Formats: sequence, C-alpha cells, structure tokens
Amino acid sequence: MRQARVERWSSGASYLHRRHPAVKIALALLFLISLASVSSQRVPWFFVTSAALIVCCIVAARLPLLPLLLSAAAVLPFAVLFALVAILAGDNARASLLIVRAYLSALTVLLLAATAPVSDLMAGLEFLRAPRFLLSVMQFLYRYLIVLTGEAAAMRDASLSRAGSLRVLELRQATGAAAILFARAWARAQAVHQAMLSRGFDGMLPRLHQPRFNAADIRFAFIGAAIVIAVRLAA
Amino acid sequence: MHIPDGFLSTRVWATMDAVAIPAVALLSRRAQRSLDTSRLPLMGVMGAFIFAAQMINFPVGNGTSSHLVGGALLSFTLGPAAAAMVMTSILAIQALVFQDGGLLALGANVFNMAIAGVFAGYLPYLLLRGRKSGIFLGATLSLLVSAFFALMELALSGVRMPPTMLLISIALFTVSAVAEGAITVAVVGALRNIEPNLLRQTASAPVLTRRLRLVLAGASAALVMTAIYVASTKPDGIDEITRLTAARATSLLSSPLSSRLSSPLANYQVSFLSSHSSNWLTHAFAGLAGIFAVYLVCLVLSRLLRASRSALKPEGI
Repeated sequence: MRQARVERWSSGASYLHRRHPAVKIALALLFLISLASVSSQRVPWFFVTSAALIVCCIVAARLPLLPLLLSAAAVLPFAVLFALVAILAGDNARASLLIVRAYLSALTVLLLAATAPVSDLMAGLEFLRAPRFLLSVMQFLYRYLIVLTGEAAAMRDASLSRAGSLRVLELRQATGAAAILFARAWARAQAVHQAMLSRGFDGMLPRLHQPRFNAADIRFAFIGAAIVIAVRLAA
Repeated sequence: MHIPDGFLSTRVWATMDAVAIPAVALLSRRAQRSLDTSRLPLMGVMGAFIFAAQMINFPVGNGTSSHLVGGALLSFTLGPAAAAMVMTSILAIQALVFQDGGLLALGANVFNMAIAGVFAGYLPYLLLRGRKSGIFLGATLSLLVSAFFALMELALSGVRMPPTMLLISIALFTVSAVAEGAITVAVVGALRNIEPNLLRQTASAPVLTRRLRLVLAGASAALVMTAIYVASTKPDGIDEITRLTAARATSLLSSPLSSRLSSPLANYQVSFLSSHSSNWLTHAFAGLAGIFAVYLVCLVLSRLLRASRSALKPEGI
C-alpha cells in the first residue's frame, strides 16, 4: 500500500529526517509557492534547478530516488490530460508548464511526507498553530485507516468467495457491506472512546514527544529559505 | 475532483486558502464546542470509514461501477460542522500522505468538498426532514456543487477547457453525482435497518436551523443563478466572466493586503531589480503577504476567541 511505503521512507534518520517538522513544512510551502509563482515558460532552467534541488534533498535524505520519482508520477495522468487540451489549443508552453509544475509540486510534497512521519507532521502543524482538534481527528483517521481498510478488504474477500468471481458485487450486497462497515466503525469508535476515557482521556490526544528546535534547525531554515529565494530571484 | 498543485493560478489558490483557513478554524471550534468529547474518536474513525468504503464498488448500470464519496452521508450522521472537519482531515491526509490533491491547492479542495459540498448536502436533508428524496438530493447536490466550484476555479486560473470537454466533464460529474445519490440512499436505508439511531434526527435539529436555512438557501440560490448565467452565456461568455471575476478577485485581494503589507517589499524589489521581473515578484509577494496576513489574522482571532471564552467560562459553568 502506498501509505506503508511512505511510512517506511519517513522512518529514516538522515540529516533531513532529524530537522524540526515545522521548518520542513514551511520550507516545502515556500518552495511550492516559488514553483507556483512562475507563470511563463521563459525560464526552463529555473525548473531544472528546482528539480536538481529536490533530487539533491532526496539523495541527502538517503531515500531511494527512482521509487520516489515514480511515486510522484501519480499526478501525471491528470496533468497530461489538461496538457493535451492545451496542446490542441496550440499552447505548447502552457502544456509543458502545467506538467512540470504539477510533477515537481507532487514530488516536493512526497519528499516532505517521506522525511517526516505523520505524527511529526502533526506536531509541526500544531507548532504552526493549526487547530489541535482537527489535528487529533487527522491522527485518529490515520490510525484507523489501516484497520478499517483491512476490514473492508476482508469483507470483500468473504463476499467474493461466496458469490463466485463477480467483478463487482451486486448493488444490494454492496450497500449492505457499506452499511455494516459503517455500523462496525461506529461501534469501534465507541469502544475506543470508552477505553480512552478509562485511561484519563480529557478531550485531546496527549503529546508524546514534542520535537524541539535546536541550532541546526534554525541554520537549516535560513539556508534552505535563502537557497529557494535565490533560485527564484535568479529566474 | 482533487485539484493538484500547479493547476491553479496564484490568485485563485491564495484566495481559496484565505477563505478556507479561517472557515476551517471556525468550524473546528464549532464542532469541538457543539459536540461531546466522544465525537473525537468517532470523527476520526468515520473518516477512516470513508477511506475503507471506497474499496467497495457499487454497480451503476451497464458494467460500470462507482464508489461512495461520503461527504453527504457524514453530514447526515455527524452533522455538518463535524462532517466538514472529517472531510478536511481526509483531504489533508490525502494531500500529505497519498499525494492526492496539492498542498497549496488544499484550501480550494477543502472549500469545494469539505465546506461547500458538505453544507450543500446537508441542506436538502434538513429541509425535507430526512426523507428519501432529501437524502438523494443532498448527496447529488453535494457532488455537483463540489464539481461546480472545482471547474470554476480551474476556469478562473486560465486552464483551457474547450466547450466539448467542459460538457463531457459536466456530464460525467452529473452521472457520478446521481450515482452518489443512489448509493447514499441505499446505504442509509440499510443503515436504518441495522441501527436506526445512528442517523441524525432532523426533528431535534439545532436551534440555529432557521438562520442556517436562510443562509444556505440564499447561498444555493446565488449559486444556481451563477450557474444559469454561466450556462446561458456562450463559451466566449465564460471567458468574459472569467476575466471579469479574475479582475475583481485581484483587485479585492491585492488592494487591501498588498498595498499595506507588501508595498515596502515591492518598492524595494522594483528599485533593486530590473523592471521586467517585477511582474512575477509582485505576484509572489502578494501571495506570500496574503498567506502571512491570513496567518496573522487567524492567530489574533484565536487569541481573542480564547480570551473571550475564558472570560465567559463562569457563566458556562
């Protein structure tokens, strides 16, 4: 599964992995803004430099280059569709801009996710003052994603093994399956909540470890921001 | 319907982020305040349910199949504010972990699907008091409204869509919206058989129903009128609207913010660099300044809200 792979990547211990998640989020946003603010195709080498920057980060984080590049290509079908339309309209510059920008942006977010585990990303977002309630919901969602997806897969297997090799389930079966999954998810949530209450849950998830800023993080923030801004200004 | 990064112009994504961030902060507060704490695990697990439910394929006519999107179903069971929170969490996780939808475009996606979509789905359910027609209309409308906003944002960003492609995508969206309606009706029906108390009682709807109804009715009327206007004017008319709205949005976005916040920077840059590069500079700085301004406003608002809430606390107890 995709999220299992990203999780494995994010558990590394390189220099980039050890930086404060808030700094990484802020730098990724700055980089995305610098990509998004290029509105003409006059500066192909800006994109080459940006791509080189990302590749350098991937290598520095000791992440597998090819799988990451392929994984970010998931955005391409959508981008290529609109690029084809632009080409048919005779706007080749816009088409290439669309594809390059969408791909590099996807790669940037993938790099962010591959260098910070979800719990760290949440801590970073909290540092940037995102609502803690929303972050708690996101953490719960991520935790139970795997559990419920597994349950849905088991239900599908069970149904297929009884109903033969139907590609799609009959409507009645499918709606029943969805409703049962819903009711089970609800019951599980109640049980989880009771278990949490009995352990002293006060309405918010506790913070286990809070990433702390150190001198290296501040250096990384300034140098990273300087590089991104310099590349953008030179374009 | 998840818009990736790189598609929206700076004006559009910056505006949508500026709209979505305070809205999410507000809805988060409302969801947190109006619900008991048992809803926190419930909301997270129901979000995971939406992910899992997308593995179940529903046959929709001749050999094709569709899956549940779920914004409307969530609003029928959790209520609109909590449903908007859950959908926002889903979109954020999808953008961060699954690279489905962009990070800068997250504001636009959240607005389309988690705010406009969820509230558009809840309105018919509320008005028709949870009847089957209300469920169907709600789920259908929720998808149509999301698609409408997504198409508008792409058009405003100057992403080219010839009339035929626009018509095809509208047709596809309509088909999937009707499918979503049918699936939601069927799932709610099955849910009523299994555990009827999971559905939100429309009779005991919250006190602000009346005001909410008026606001939502006004919003949807405005939306329908815009849609009719867009549809009735020919494709070149769409271009015209695009230009008009874009111009208005720019003046709205840039005049109050960048004149105060980014003008010292912009002046500095213009005098510092050659003139031809000042165009993107002002763009980039307007975007940055806009985000920074929104961030500051949110910080101040949350500080104020916290202060007023702690001041009111003795009354609450």
